[in-house]
Amino acid sequence: MVLKNLLENKEFIILDGAMGTMLQANGLEAGGIPEELSITRPELLKKIHRSYIEAGSDLIYANTFGANSYKLEESKYSVEEIVSEAIKVAKEAARGTDTLVALDIGPIGQLLEPTGSLSFEEAYEIFSRTVKAGKDADVIVFETMTDLYELKAGLLAAKENSNKPVICTMTFEQNMRTFIGCEVSSMALTLEGLGADAIGINCSLGPAELEPVVKELSKWTTLPIVVKPNAGLPDPETNLYNVTPVQFAEQMKNLVKYGVKIFGGCCGTTPDFIRETVNILKSERYVKNCPEIPSAVCTPSTTVVIDSPRIIGERINPTGKKVFKAALINHDIDYILSQAIEQTEAGAEILDVNVGLPDINEKEMMITAIKAIQGVTDVPLQIDSTVPEVLENALRIYNGKPIVNSVNGEKKSIEAVLPLVKKYGAAVVGLTLDENGIPKKAEDRVEIAKRILDAALKIGIRKEDVYIDCLTLTASAEQEGVMETVKALYRVKHELGLKTVLGVSNISFGLPNRELINSTFLSVALANGLDLPIINPNIPAMSGAVRAFRLLSNADKNSEEYISIYGGEPNAPQPKKIVKDENMTLDHAIEKGLRAECTRITEALLENMDSMDVVNNEIIPALDIAGTRFEKGEIFLPQLIQTAGAAQACFEVIKQKLAKSGDNRVSKGKIILATVKGDIHDIGKNIVKVLLENYGYQVIDLGRDVDYQKVVDAAIENDVHLVGLSALMTTTLDSMEKTIELLRKNNVDCKIMVGGAVLTPEYAMKIGADFYAKDAKESVDIAKKVLG
Amino acid sequence: MKLEHLRKDEAIRYLGYGENKPDDNILNLLDACERELLQVIVPEYIYKIFDIEKIDREKEKVTFKDCALELTGKDITAHLKGCERAVFMACTVSAGVDKLLRITQLKDMTKAFVMDSLASAAIEQVCDMAQEEIMKNTKGYGTWRFSCGYGDLPIECQKLFVTVLDAQKRIGLNVTESYLLTPTKSVTAVFGLSKEKIEKKRLGCESCNMKDKCEFRKRGERCGS
Repeated sequence: MVLKNLLENKEFIILDGAMGTMLQANGLEAGGIPEELSITRPELLKKIHRSYIEAGSDLIYANTFGANSYKLEESKYSVEEIVSEAIKVAKEAARGTDTLVALDIGPIGQLLEPTGSLSFEEAYEIFSRTVKAGKDADVIVFETMTDLYELKAGLLAAKENSNKPVICTMTFEQNMRTFIGCEVSSMALTLEGLGADAIGINCSLGPAELEPVVKELSKWTTLPIVVKPNAGLPDPETNLYNVTPVQFAEQMKNLVKYGVKIFGGCCGTTPDFIRETVNILKSERYVKNCPEIPSAVCTPSTTVVIDSPRIIGERINPTGKKVFKAALINHDIDYILSQAIEQTEAGAEILDVNVGLPDINEKEMMITAIKAIQGVTDVPLQIDSTVPEVLENALRIYNGKPIVNSVNGEKKSIEAVLPLVKKYGAAVVGLTLDENGIPKKAEDRVEIAKRILDAALKIGIRKEDVYIDCLTLTASAEQEGVMETVKALYRVKHELGLKTVLGVSNISFGLPNRELINSTFLSVALANGLDLPIINPNIPAMSGAVRAFRLLSNADKNSEEYISIYGGEPNAPQPKKIVKDENMTLDHAIEKGLRAECTRITEALLENMDSMDVVNNEIIPALDIAGTRFEKGEIFLPQLIQTAGAAQACFEVIKQKLAKSGDNRVSKGKIILATVKGDIHDIGKNIVKVLLENYGYQVIDLGRDVDYQKVVDAAIENDVHLVGLSALMTTTLDSMEKTIELLRKNNVDCKIMVGGAVLTPEYAMKIGADFYAKDAKESVDIAKKVLG
Repeated sequence: MKLEHLRKDEAIRYLGYGENKPDDNILNLLDACERELLQVIVPEYIYKIFDIEKIDREKEKVTFKDCALELTGKDITAHLKGCERAVFMACTVSAGVDKLLRITQLKDMTKAFVMDSLASAAIEQVCDMAQEEIMKNTKGYGTWRFSCGYGDLPIECQKLFVTVLDAQKRIGLNVTESYLLTPTKSVTAVFGLSKEKIEKKRLGCESCNMKDKCEFRKRGERCGS
């Protein structure tokens, strides 16, 4: 019997109930390793499995929930020993029956980046090891997952290291989200896309409390739905659950109508719960669930349904942007992130990410950029590259369901890109061009769109996941082509019934008052059926046109969104007004932390003053005064940082001016900063960074939890002579010592300064640092000493 | 549990102001941070009560009934002296706070620093409220809270502590390989329960890892616990 047969032949599939509850009842102490019992007390395990089989389970979970290399670190048994024994014991219990045995996989026990320190790739490796060890199981189950990213790593590991069917269940709270903030819709879109065989919900609540979650799930998936709830809610003191087996079964029966096919029990349930559930379901019929799932993309916390025009932000793209190019070359990820945040705050609902530049490793940069961006925004991403290898690597590490930008009508492109879209469950942009270029006539572009759609359907990509770009031509060069694009768009939308996407800004290239042309063209395109305009959302006329269209097309019901943005918020608390002073000097503006003033005054100063004079005679002295006052205890750290932030505004003006003239004098030298391996508290390091940058140093920020070798490599590669290391916890001081050791061993010609809450000057010297910085201000003094 | 306000006065202390009053700018930032934090904070806590099996003064070890975790060191041994039971608890303000802090650091470092302090105050607030709720449902007198890594109680016990409470499943609390809690604004702690009234000993500065360089101490203040 395999799972497929069960799904086809049985009305309902019955899972088992709790394992932990049964083990605790049999004397497992709190904090003991339950997986070891498969080896030390196999008869107990067999007894529990048999009791579930006798109660009517079709599929039992082997005792492997925590059998991963992290949780078993302190066990005397290996992952392989524990997993194979657990499955053997379960198989022996099932002998002579049709009951299947699942390799049961729970969360690793560590949070993934960016909140935790475990990388996606490490999670994949941990899961792969457990999957391989479970080769004798019939089915693979992931359960009690709260992090969709971790589950994606697991599902990929299962799919790529076995050919077994995979069931995925996640744990939701009463607010309809998991602890990590994952929505039901995002879970369904992502997991169905990645090829799970059944998906559902387990643990946390009883069947009655989970009803809204199950109902929501039924709207978002065509897969068989799994429900494995707790026996109600636990009493915090006694840890006993409040639902009886009969009540549990009644509540489970109530979930049949949502298309649930697979039923089981989690914490607090026993064979009696399963038996009652089997009994009650005997008189029920499976209700196949077949909702119409809309075009939608997602991150774990946000699902964007393309049921009205949605703004795709175009700004993460180096084409024609000097500052962006420089940021890519200098690995300045914070710059890219600030672009992401600026656009989402301006109204972008999806962000296009393009980091292609001839001189950089696009694959590495794309992975770094996507990981960083998804740590700070909730909006889905559109992965923009012409290189299939870059697309695949980005698709792997993307958290949710993205858009791939793009495939085109060429055979080569279709064959390289569409299988990736299918494997990773993404949506895709199809460009209406092929080996012969962009057709002049609308009907030929519609023809290519059709070709792309057919190829997509053939390999199982849903029609709803194909978005067509009919390609904007520049009005100044091909004026007669503008309306052909609009015509093609209209036909793709209304004849082929596909969603449409269009890069709008190119239309005005080479013309004056580009904004006027862009916003007018945007309105025309929207009226003809554009769903996904790719625009610069920071320009109010552009995002405004989309919002106005949503209102006029009756998508923004009661003009709610429009009014919330343009109607003012009378109830929002107003910050105290700071009186604007025309005679204010730069040092005063810096001291008071007035960024806007700093920008204005710096611009004015630069009209008659050399950039470096502004830096050396105006900005640095003002910072020095603040530094001295901080040391004397007259001002406090927040004010010092504020001063630095204001100076940053000055530097931005100066940098822009210098970038225009190709001058790079502003840098006083390069400094590497890193929060050491194992440490994830990086606010201290970031404060130091702001201060150093505003004294004119170029900071190469390696981030947090940084490998020893990475520091060495970066120092050598960038010829850096001052390295700053930060550690907050006593447990990570050891990493600091090891980083210093490795720098010294490699004879890196650099001074090392260290800082962090638990560090002392004595300890700093003991581990071989050159300087101990007691606070952010002192790191500046050290930099002056070392680099001048 | 719901937080209505955050303890801004605590945050001001963490920011290093001592008895000084921050300027309007920082006070405005505190207000803004409070509003933003209250929108993302999801306070969660979980606890289990264990009978103390033995407090071994000689071996400096406390063992609990039906519990795989032993707590070691002279500080915890002294701390639980006279108690029959102990409450293991874990609290968090949840992962949304970490994300908000990440975003704010990119936008405005001053604000991020202020927000970080306020979030630290928030998790202490959650701990206080949790302890209060627990004590309401529990007979006896409680000691102060004591955490892994305080004094000579090794931080390495963090991992098992979280496992014992099943905190990963129940409140989404995890431990990294270097024994840091994630979400980062989280606390695990143990406090003793006694039938008899016990003298609440302050956690003296002597058992603190920061005692040699503590800014509070230099000014003759205390950090709060």
